[in-house]
Amino acid sequence: MRDERLKTLLKGGAIWGFILLELVFFEVAGRIWSLSGNAFVDLDNMLLLLKQAAPIGIIAVGMTVVMINGNIDLSVGATYALAGIVMLDSMSWPFMEALGAGAIPLAWGFALLTGALLGLINGLIVWKTGVDAFIVTLGAMLGFRGLVFMYNGEQPTYHLDWTMVDIAEAEILGLQTPALVFLAVVLGVWLLMTRTVHGRNAYAIGDNRDAAVNAGLRVGPHILINFVLIGVLAALSAVAFYSGSGSVNPNDGMLFELWAITAVVLGGTKLTGGRGSIIGTLGGVLAIQLLRMGLGHIGAQTETVNLVIGTILIAVLFLDRQLNRKGAEELKI
Amino acid sequence: MTPATRLSLACSTALMALGGAAAAQSYTIGITQNNVGVDSYQTTYEQAFIAAAEANPDVDVVVLDAGGDVARQIAQIQDLVQQDVDAMIIWPTNGQAVIPAVREAYRAEIPVIITNSNIAEEGFDFVRSFSGPDNITQGQRAAEIMCDRFKEKGIEDEAQIVEVTGQPGYTTAIERSEGFQQRLPEVCPNVTLLDSQPGNWNREDAQQVMEAFLVQYDDIDGVYSGDDNMGVGALNAALAADRAGDITFVGATNFAVGYDAMERGEYWGSIYQSPVDDAEAALQTAIDVLEGEDVPFLNYFDTPKITQENMDEFDRPVF
Repeated sequence: MRDERLKTLLKGGAIWGFILLELVFFEVAGRIWSLSGNAFVDLDNMLLLLKQAAPIGIIAVGMTVVMINGNIDLSVGATYALAGIVMLDSMSWPFMEALGAGAIPLAWGFALLTGALLGLINGLIVWKTGVDAFIVTLGAMLGFRGLVFMYNGEQPTYHLDWTMVDIAEAEILGLQTPALVFLAVVLGVWLLMTRTVHGRNAYAIGDNRDAAVNAGLRVGPHILINFVLIGVLAALSAVAFYSGSGSVNPNDGMLFELWAITAVVLGGTKLTGGRGSIIGTLGGVLAIQLLRMGLGHIGAQTETVNLVIGTILIAVLFLDRQLNRKGAEELKI
Repeated sequence: MTPATRLSLACSTALMALGGAAAAQSYTIGITQNNVGVDSYQTTYEQAFIAAAEANPDVDVVVLDAGGDVARQIAQIQDLVQQDVDAMIIWPTNGQAVIPAVREAYRAEIPVIITNSNIAEEGFDFVRSFSGPDNITQGQRAAEIMCDRFKEKGIEDEAQIVEVTGQPGYTTAIERSEGFQQRLPEVCPNVTLLDSQPGNWNREDAQQVMEAFLVQYDDIDGVYSGDDNMGVGALNAALAADRAGDITFVGATNFAVGYDAMERGEYWGSIYQSPVDDAEAALQTAIDVLEGEDVPFLNYFDTPKITQENMDEFDRPVF
């Protein structure tokens, strides 16, 4: 019995072992190569890590749900940019300017609404047409990006509001707002996936859609809800990030979908659906951000980061395959 | 605080004490660049920056590249604050989005130097100095090149010119046009500016603009472009219409295409802006700020005139 538990821990814990390895490596390597007098594994640095991981992290949590559900969403990067533009642009609408600081929560609301709407569009198309989510959201990725460019051409959309920046930089226990939002999203969606009927059904649908239909699950509405959820989370990510930066470039958020998927897969979620965990995704997100930050810390060239992450992605999936063999070759402890 | 953090803190303090004793005058300067791979100006800039830093024994540099990604640049600025560098040089990916991050560096009492293209005015309070080319001067000098050429030809009292500007709304485009239009009447009061249209920093756009000009105006003696890329676009339009021989082409930044056209005798002159000078000026500005010297807020490096007559003094631009 104890062996069983250890085995589960080993199977799901690979990513955390990897994170530990990264921490030790960068701490030791940093002593040798870093020009900085500060240690890598320093409390402030780790808190900063959480903040920097937030934009992709929040999206990756949503991606986990959609992927467990057996779908995928490639349009999150464009949704992120569009929600950011709506948020910042709405601040300069005449009636919003009249509201003063009261306009800020309203602007956040508009952004989240935008995300929900775009998610609803994706969900409805996937549900009602039966076209594969990969294709639908690939189209949406291009279409939403087109909207981004239509909004303001190639110009950045810009509204710097120091009150909003101060809110984004506010700290509780050393954690800045984006990090807090990220952790709250992780907790909230973890509860959703493990403690509610909707969560259990999402797993069931992703695992075997036909069986889920036969069991009387209403597959369509569940898929729809999950697409709305990821749309809202992509917008929330934009709210958390752009409140603190005040300017959206029209090509912002490009490749976010791929980073989110990378984090999710590193965290052990299956591309085919039915298996995966929010906590694993948290690990995947942290592992990527640690690599980025750590390689910068030891003075490695920026271009090496992608190479290393790509290599590690393949290595982790290979390890995962080995650990999860069934039958005679099954992992023995 | 976990035991691990406490240990690392202790170790790092010890290391800092050691480092402090070994090299008392050494500075660590961090730089986050816009997008190194995207064009050869930025690639040459990075190489020149690293070379300049290596040549200076008192300086260690942390060289980062944002890859054109605003979020990554903001993260890099925060990392540099965390690493507690002595000064920071930023080549902004977006002149507005970095302002809050620059404020964080300012609050951490790290002097920030902006290089190449400035950030928006709201951020000026948090920046120690801007090191880069002066677009207004570039425009003014282009006007002088144009006027001198007209005087050589003896047409300074009757010449008519057109202008192709950069992307509307961009500071660089606005300032280069402003400098030109302000200086030209001072040196050549009788030259007429017929028209001014945006070529969006794009050769094909500039060519179309020029094609329209050639149809509209029968007598064009000069073309001023925001950079040589657009200038060569305009030149191509004039060549196709067989009218290039009568026209003096002047740009506000010399590109390799412009340099080659000058060599062929088709293009008259431009302003020489070297990425090597740009990089060295940025590093020097940071060092001067750290040495406590009086550095002007707008610390321009020199961008000389280049024409067919003196072009052999300059290397072919890398971009």
